[in-house]
Amino acid sequence: MIYWSLKTLFAEPMRLFISALAVSVSFLLVIFFSAVFEGESNQMVAYLKKMDADVWVMQKGVSNMHMASSMVWDWKVDKIARIAGVKDVSAILYLNGPVKIGGKDWFSYIMGISPEHKRTGPWDIAKGKAIPEPGEAVIPEVISKLAGIQIGEEIKMIDRKLRVVGLTRGTFSMASSVVFVSHKDLGELLEGRDQFSYIMVYAKPGVSAQTLVERIKDEIDKVNALSSEDFVESDWQLGVQMGAEILIMMTTIGTLLATLIVAFTAYSLVERKKQELAVAKALGFSNGQIYIAALCQSVVITGIGLLLTLLFAYTLLPWLPAIAPQINLAVRFHQFIPIAVIALPIAVVASFIAARTVVKLDPMTVFSG
Amino acid sequence: MTTDIILKANNLSKFFGNGTSEVRAVNKVSLKIKRGEMVLIMGPSGSGKTTLLSMLGALLSSTSGEVVIDGTSISSMNNNELAALRAKKIGFVFQAFNLLEALNVEENILFPAQLNVGGTNAAKKRLDELLDRLGLTSRRYALPNTLSGGEKQRVAIGRALINQPAIILADEPTGNLDSHKGQEVMMLLHDIARDDGCAVLMVTHDPRVEEIADRVLWLEDGAIHDRKTEKHSWVKDPVCGMRIDEWTATFITEYKNKRYVFCSQRCLDRFNTEAEKYVHKTE
Repeated sequence: MIYWSLKTLFAEPMRLFISALAVSVSFLLVIFFSAVFEGESNQMVAYLKKMDADVWVMQKGVSNMHMASSMVWDWKVDKIARIAGVKDVSAILYLNGPVKIGGKDWFSYIMGISPEHKRTGPWDIAKGKAIPEPGEAVIPEVISKLAGIQIGEEIKMIDRKLRVVGLTRGTFSMASSVVFVSHKDLGELLEGRDQFSYIMVYAKPGVSAQTLVERIKDEIDKVNALSSEDFVESDWQLGVQMGAEILIMMTTIGTLLATLIVAFTAYSLVERKKQELAVAKALGFSNGQIYIAALCQSVVITGIGLLLTLLFAYTLLPWLPAIAPQINLAVRFHQFIPIAVIALPIAVVASFIAARTVVKLDPMTVFSG
Repeated sequence: MTTDIILKANNLSKFFGNGTSEVRAVNKVSLKIKRGEMVLIMGPSGSGKTTLLSMLGALLSSTSGEVVIDGTSISSMNNNELAALRAKKIGFVFQAFNLLEALNVEENILFPAQLNVGGTNAAKKRLDELLDRLGLTSRRYALPNTLSGGEKQRVAIGRALINQPAIILADEPTGNLDSHKGQEVMMLLHDIARDDGCAVLMVTHDPRVEEIADRVLWLEDGAIHDRKTEKHSWVKDPVCGMRIDEWTATFITEYKNKRYVFCSQRCLDRFNTEAEKYVHKTE
C-alpha cells in the first residue's frame, strides 16, 4: 500500500510540487517572522555592541536603553574616569522617540554626542560626516532612501529643525533606528545640557568588567553599572519579551496554515483516489493499512515542503534585504529546528481528515461500473 | 478446512430501508458452489445480483442468513477478519476493471500479493506464469492508460488470481468489452475454473456466457432459481451475429413492428444508429 501511495503521489509531480510548495510557503512564513524578529532584536542592541565598552553606567534603577530614560550628572563622568582600573570613558545623552524625516515619524534612538567623547558616534559612514555639530543630524542611509531625504535637507526632532550632514550604515531598524545629533541640541531639548544618559567605561588591561562594576557602584552614588554583556542581554531580553507574543502568534498561524495545506492535499488525494482505495479495501486491505498509505503521502508532502523550506530560507531569504533594505533579517539554522520538529505532528494531524474518508469508504463502490 | 463446496449461502437476505419503504434486495437465497464450477447469476436490472455478489464476497453484511466460504462462516467476523478472508480466499473481477492508475501491469497484478504470506517477492514466479498465461508478458511494464479494454480485464483477472483464491467473483466482466474481447475473457475465466479448480461466480447480462457456464442461477425480485434445465429461445443478435436466449435477453428493441434482441448495450446502440443496415443484413 505504501508503494502504491508513493507511486500515486509521484505520478503527478506538478501537483506534488505545488502542494509541497504551499507547505513550504507556510513554513517560510514562520522562518521569515523569526528571522525578522531576530534581525530587529540584533539591531536593537547594535549600538551597544558596536561601542564595545566594558561597562555601562546609567541612572540608578535603570537597566535598559530600549524604551528607557536615564540622567546622570556630567561630573560623575569625570569621577568614574578617576576610578582605579578605568582606561577611558565616553558618554552620550539619549532619547527614545520619533524623528520626523520626509514627513514621516521614524521611531529612533536619538544619540546626543560630542566630539570630546570618542567612540560614541556612528561606526560605518556611507556619506557625509560622522559627528554632527549643533543644528545637524546624521541619519541612517536606509531612512534617507525611504524618505527621499538627501544630505543638506532638513529633518525635525521634536520642535527642533536639524540639517542632515551624514548618512550611516547598519543603524536602521523598523523599531529603533539610530539618529545622531549634537549633545548640545539634545541637552537643550531635554533641559539637561550638563547631564548624560549613559556612560561607557573602558577597562585597563587585566581589569575585569565585573571588578569595575563593583568599584563604580561602591564609589559613585545613585548610578547603576552593568557589564556590557549584561546590559546587551538585558536589552535583548526586553526585545524578546516585547516580540515573543507576536512571534508565537505568527508561528502558530504558520503551523496551522501548513497543517491545513497538508490536510487539504492529503484529503483531496484520498478523495480523488477513492475508487482505487475502495478497490484496495475490496481486495483485502484493512482501514489501518490504507490510513498508513494516506499518512505516508502526508509525510512525503510535508518532507518535501521542509526541504523546499530549507532551500528557499537559506538561499533566497538572505537576498531579501538587498531588495527591501528596511528589513533586518537574521536567517539562522536554529529557526528551522522548531519547524522540523513540528513537521511530523503536522503530517499526522493532517492525515486524520483523510483517515475519516478512508474509514467511511464503502468497498461496494467497486461495483459502480 | 478444505471441502468440495467452496461457497455456501443459507437463507441469505438483504433488506434496505424499513416499514413501508423496505426493499427486499435479496430474499432468502440459498446456494452452493463447488470447486472448479463456473456459475452465472443472471436476472433483470435491479434484481439484486450485485447485492448478492457483495454479500457472497464479504463486502456487504446480510440482514439475515449465513455465508460460508471454504468451510468458514463469515457471519461473526469483524471488518479486519473479513478483509483478511477476502485477500486470501476471494479474487474480484469488475466491469470497470478498476486497475490502479499509477501502477504498471506487473505491479497491478502483484498488488494483492503483499497481503499474502511472503509478500510480493514470493509471488514473482506466479506473476511470470500469469503474465504468460494471460498473454501480457510483453506488456508487463505498461501503465493502465496504455492498455486496451481486453488487456485491462486480463490484468484484472491476473490480479484476482495472484493469491490463488478459492473463488473468483466477477461482476459483469465483459460489460465494457466488445464481443470478441468479451469472448476471450469468458474463455479465460472458464479455463481458470476448469484447470485451476477455482470456482467462478459471475454476474452477467451476457447470454453468450451461458453456453460455457456449468450452471445459471436466475435472480428475480430477490429470489433465485436454477435455470440450466429450462428451455431456451435462441435468436441472433442482428449486429454481431451472436446467439442469444430471447427469454433472458435484456437489450431489446422494436423496429418496424419487429422485435430485435441484442447481446449488449453496445450492439443495441449500433443498431439504433444504423437500423436499416442491420435489418437488411438479417433478412
